[in-house]
Amino acid sequence: MRDYIIRRLLGLIPILIGISVAIFVIMQLIPGDVVSGILGIEQTPELREMWERKLGLDKPLVEQYFNWIGKAVTGDFGESFRTGAPVFPEIISRFKISAELAILGCIIAWIIALPLGIISALKRNSVIDRIVRVVALMGVSIPNFASATLIILFLAKGFNYHTPVKYVGLLENFGTNMEIMLLPAFILGSVMAGSVMRMTRSSMLEVLRQDYIKAVRAKGAPEKVTIFRHAFKNSSIPIVTLIGMQIGSLMGGTVVIEQIFSIPGLGQLTLTGITQRDFPVVQGCVLFIAFVYVIVNLLVDILYTYIDPRITYT
Amino acid sequence: MKKLFALVLALAMVLTLVPAMAEGNVLRYGAETEPAGFDPHTISSHASIRVMNQVYNQLVDVNENLEVVPELATSWEISDDNLTYTFHLADNVYFHSGRKMTAEDVKYSYERILNPDLGALGNSASYAGGVDTIEVVDEATVKMTLKAVNVAFLSSQSSSYCSIVDKDVVEANEGSLLRADAGTGPYTLGEWVADNHVTVNAYDKYFNEAGKASFDAIEFYVMTDASSRLNALRTGAVDLIVADTAMLDLVGENDPIQVISYQTRDYVGLFMNCGREPFSNPLVRQAVNYALNREEINDFAYNGTAAISGFIPASMGHWAVDVNEKDYYTQNIEKAKALMAEAGYPNGFETVITVGLEDGIRDMGMVAQQQLAEIGIKAEVKNEENAQYIDDWKAHNFDIMICHNGAGSDPNRGVAFFFSSTGSANIQDYSNARVDELCVLGASTTDDAQREAYYKEAINIILDECATAIVSCPMAYFLASPALQGYAPSASNTSDFSGVTLNK
Repeated sequence: MRDYIIRRLLGLIPILIGISVAIFVIMQLIPGDVVSGILGIEQTPELREMWERKLGLDKPLVEQYFNWIGKAVTGDFGESFRTGAPVFPEIISRFKISAELAILGCIIAWIIALPLGIISALKRNSVIDRIVRVVALMGVSIPNFASATLIILFLAKGFNYHTPVKYVGLLENFGTNMEIMLLPAFILGSVMAGSVMRMTRSSMLEVLRQDYIKAVRAKGAPEKVTIFRHAFKNSSIPIVTLIGMQIGSLMGGTVVIEQIFSIPGLGQLTLTGITQRDFPVVQGCVLFIAFVYVIVNLLVDILYTYIDPRITYT
Repeated sequence: MKKLFALVLALAMVLTLVPAMAEGNVLRYGAETEPAGFDPHTISSHASIRVMNQVYNQLVDVNENLEVVPELATSWEISDDNLTYTFHLADNVYFHSGRKMTAEDVKYSYERILNPDLGALGNSASYAGGVDTIEVVDEATVKMTLKAVNVAFLSSQSSSYCSIVDKDVVEANEGSLLRADAGTGPYTLGEWVADNHVTVNAYDKYFNEAGKASFDAIEFYVMTDASSRLNALRTGAVDLIVADTAMLDLVGENDPIQVISYQTRDYVGLFMNCGREPFSNPLVRQAVNYALNREEINDFAYNGTAAISGFIPASMGHWAVDVNEKDYYTQNIEKAKALMAEAGYPNGFETVITVGLEDGIRDMGMVAQQQLAEIGIKAEVKNEENAQYIDDWKAHNFDIMICHNGAGSDPNRGVAFFFSSTGSANIQDYSNARVDELCVLGASTTDDAQREAYYKEAINIILDECATAIVSCPMAYFLASPALQGYAPSASNTSDFSGVTLNK
């Protein structure tokens, strides 16, 4: 197991290098650069030259890349071209916010999806099952920016209510933080809930058809034990896989919700970095998101061994 | 059903929490973009300047009538040769660090601007770039000598790019003011949570009684989503928001929300690349001007609220030239077709109209495309993302580009910067020897009437040679809660909150 984890972590290295090269190349290929953004209409050839020198953009591309990667391996992701702020602490502070949003979203998704998915599987083709399936389909197919805007509008018109606009950290003020985060988390969660629900249902159906469930029932086990200990636990591997992937993609993928609710998360940071061609920020964010994605999926793989002890890694 | 149930649940959870309303006398401002740091000398972002205007001062200010008025300098003298400016500083100015501002700080600030390693925006001919020497006469007097006469020098020193900064703070922050406060303004720079908000707090030792902070704090929120911004205003989460013409449709007749507007000194229109065929031919450029129906464009792009304008808009006062007298400001398709035939394009040609992300610009591109089709010009509208647009702007890489420019506070900016052959924003490679000559004369003549004559001649030449097809001078909009009183933005200053109150 330990060897497996080490191997997986080592496997991260080529992934991160590959991504960093790709981002570097893409940032060079897309039109527009950070100096134009900084100077805007005021740019003159002299000012431009000064800024290129200041940001190290006058050096050959290969040298620029190696300068960056050389520092990055020591944990120094450089400073933002635009704001001069060190990139890594900024990413961490944004990550905490995105992670909170993602985790809350997942919890809400589970609360909605798991019971409904199980009920839907147990009462296959009943009215409840059909309703649940339609609702799940709606959850997946309504884009979150649409539901978010509509919900904000509904709350504003109906209740004259708006979530607090000033972001407050979880540890600073728990109540206000929850008030800011719950609504966007609910919107993210409701989208995730749709797919988790569908996965739970189909996975449960598959397991319930297995002979050992018949054996458990024949043995006279109470229905609760049959469903939760035997059926659900065994059907949860694909669900956990799905949730792992969703958490990973939520890291950078909540940008629209973050914009609508003015939440200063990782997605916003990445997007602002891209529009301003702020290379150190984009590079840092994308690598960090990739890192989190791989780690979350590694944790999911490790979780498998607890769900199904037959799974071992060597 | 599930969604509704969960929504009610979420609502119940949310509403049981006591809403954390702003405490004290705080103005909450819903801005459209994220500031990019707060170094007044190196940052050109509007969102940053709005905040920096609360934190920093300059030697002089320009009022609504484009007159130069005192700020940190209470008075000044200009030598007979118009090369030396002696500024007398107010004696009760304190930096936010508590230290008294002296002539040394003014010298230091200008040296910082002129330092080639900083890449300061003020280090160009439009601002302080022409300063040759700076001399401290005594604690409250500073003398600047220019390399060449520049009549627009004084008014251009009102730009945030020419702010006076605290030497000690700059040095303590290793030369970077992006996140530090080295100002003298009515507010101090407070908390900055990027992509969410920046707060400025009232400074009780502000030197000018009239400009004193009228709020305990101002909170600038980043709300990129326009509908979120409007909803936040409706529900009282913010007091004032930046708006655009499209948002005005969402404010009803009896809506308690206030619409606050002012005529900008900006202009929007078609810039034709004079360095490229076929626009190098003045006849083609004239044809384009005759082909446009400016009212129609205006109705579509700005709901008819913008004023039909040239590149020195009527809001520039006596400097402006009345474009309604110009024949080519009235659509005349026959004339346009005749000009096209005369230029050798009886069947028109194909071209590209490059537009940026701004709604007004994009809409203008679409209408212009249709109108130009009437005289055989088949234009493709190319939508560009901001960085790419600036790139093409900088590289003069376009056939027709729709631009939204500011005419500045002096025609030296509005004419020379955009249309003289050496102007750094002359993106269309327009060149006319007489215009160049007039720009030099205009910048070096102190007699106002004579200057006006020079610039008007230049403006008329540029208009008549149809270097551009400027359409209109747009309005700028804000939406405010009914409680907000006394906010009167103008083209000279949109972020002056002195005297503004909230009657909650």
